[in-house]
Amino acid sequence: MTAANTEGAADVAAAAPDPDEAQRAIEYCYEQGWSDGLPLVPVSKPLLEAFLATTDKDADEIIGSLEQVGRDVNVYLAAINAAMAGCKPEYFPVVLAAFEALLRDRAARGGGFQSTSGPSPLIVVNGPVRKELGFNTAGGAFGPGFRPNATIPRAIGLLVRNGFGIHPHVLEQATQGLPGRWQVCIAENEEESPWEPLAENGGVAGGVSAVSATLTRTMEFVDNRHTPNHEDVLRDLADTISRIGSQIFPLSSVALVLCPEHAQMFASAGMSKQDVQNWLLERCGRTGAELSSMGKAEVNRKSFRGEYEGDETFHKFLAGPTSIPVIVAGAKNAAISMVVRIFGEWSGTSVPIAEKK
Amino acid sequence: MPNAILDPTGTATSAVKPAAPRAPRAKSLQGKRVGLLINTKQNARPFLEEVGRLLEEKYDVILTQRTKVNFAVPEPEDVIKELVAGNDVVITGVGDCGSCSAAAAADGVVLEAAGLPVAAIITDSFIPTADAMAALRGAPGYKYATTAHPVAVLTEDKVKERAAQVLDDVVALLTEPAKDEA
Repeated sequence: MTAANTEGAADVAAAAPDPDEAQRAIEYCYEQGWSDGLPLVPVSKPLLEAFLATTDKDADEIIGSLEQVGRDVNVYLAAINAAMAGCKPEYFPVVLAAFEALLRDRAARGGGFQSTSGPSPLIVVNGPVRKELGFNTAGGAFGPGFRPNATIPRAIGLLVRNGFGIHPHVLEQATQGLPGRWQVCIAENEEESPWEPLAENGGVAGGVSAVSATLTRTMEFVDNRHTPNHEDVLRDLADTISRIGSQIFPLSSVALVLCPEHAQMFASAGMSKQDVQNWLLERCGRTGAELSSMGKAEVNRKSFRGEYEGDETFHKFLAGPTSIPVIVAGAKNAAISMVVRIFGEWSGTSVPIAEKK
Repeated sequence: MPNAILDPTGTATSAVKPAAPRAPRAKSLQGKRVGLLINTKQNARPFLEEVGRLLEEKYDVILTQRTKVNFAVPEPEDVIKELVAGNDVVITGVGDCGSCSAAAAADGVVLEAAGLPVAAIITDSFIPTADAMAALRGAPGYKYATTAHPVAVLTEDKVKERAAQVLDDVVALLTEPAKDEA
C-alpha cells in the first residue's frame, strides 16, 4: 500500500460520521418504542428546522385529529416523524398533503387505523413534483428502490403510530395486516398515460402537483398480455374485481392501477377513463345465490334484500366513478395491471401540494 | 453539548378527561330502565335483546333500545345526553372488532362519568384494546364483561346461551360497587 493511499483512507475516515455514535442513536430510538420495526433516522433540532422551513404552516398548526383516541397531530410532530422515516426536508410538503388527503377518507377518520382489517394507504402523486423530487414514475411502481416513494408512506405510518398513539396489539388490532403497509406511494406515469391524471379526477386541474390517498386492504394483479381484444382484458379485470372474499358490505370499491399498455389499449379502442369505469360498474358483481353459497348470505340479505337461497338476481358491487379510481403506473414492458381493494371509499378529492411563499 | 434526539410522540388532547369517575351503582335492577346500546355488529342485536329479555323476566326492567350511530367511534354528545335522560343503566356491545371494542369501552367510560352505570360487553380477543381505550379516557382498569370470541358466527341458540352466561357479570357490573368503594 502506498503512502498516498493510506493518507486517502485516513481523510475519508475523518470526514465520515461516527458509525458507533450513529448506531447508539438508532438503538435509542428503538428503545423509546418509536419504530415500525426498521431503523429510524434520529432527529435533531437542526434537521427539524430544515423540515419546518419548507412550509408556511406554523409548527403548532393542527393538521389532523382522531377524536376517539383523543389525539391531535400538528406540523411539528409531522416533521419529526417524516424526518425519522427517512424523508428529505423537501419531501415534507408532500407528506403534509398526503396526510390531509388520507384523513379526507371517511374510514381513516372512523377507526380504520384500529381495524382488524389492518388497512394501508394507497398514496398517488401527480404533477411536476414527481420529477422535481425524484419519484419513480416508471417500472416497479409499487416499490422498492426510490427514496420519496418509500419514505413518504412510512412517514404517514409513523405519524399514526407516534402521533395518534395507535400501536400494534393495543389500539391497532390488525388480524393479519397486509404486505406493503405504509409502503405504497405511486407517482402516476403521466407521460405514458393516455388520460387525465388522477388529481384532475380529484378536482385539482392544470398540471398542479397534488396528492390523492385512500385506505386499502390488499391488491391483486391481472396479467393479460396475449389478447388483442380490449373487452377480453376488461372481462378479466371484472372477474378479479368481482371476487366474493372481499365482499362484506353492500358496495365495494377498487382502485384500478393500469399499466401503460392496458391503458393505451383501452384508449386506442376509443375509451375514456369514464368509459372504462362505466363498463366495469355495470358488470362487476355476483348473484345472490353465489354470495350465499360462499357464506355471504348475510351480505346478500342485508345489502340487497336478497333471499338466503336461490336468489339468482345479479347484484352490482361498485357504486360510481369515485368507487373505482383509475391510475396509470408502471413500465410499458408487459400488460400487467393491479386491482387494489379499497377499505372504505376514496374521498374523490385530491390535495394540492402547497408551495412555500 | 450534542443535540438532543427529538420525541415524535403526541400527547393527549383536551378530549381526554383526566380521571373519569365511575357512576354510583344501582342498588338493584328491580323495575329499572335498561338501555340497550346496540353496535350493529353481526349478532349484537339478538345478543343484547336476549340479555334484556332475561333481565325483564328476572327484575321486571323496562327496556329501551338504540343503535350506535357508528360502531367504530364513541357516541356523540347528544346521544349520550339522551341515553342518560332515558335510562337508569346501559348495556352496550358487542365489541368484536378493533375499533368497536374500543368504542364500547369509551362509551362506557363517558356514560359512567355522566352518572349511568354501564355494562359493556366485548369479546375476549379485544381486552388489550378496550383496556387501552379506557385508560386513554381517564378510567384505567375500567371493568366490562367479556364473552368468548367469536360471536358473529354463532347460531341463534348459541347466542342465547352466551347471553345467559354473561348475565351474572352484567348484573354485577351494574349493581356491585368496586372493591375500593365498598
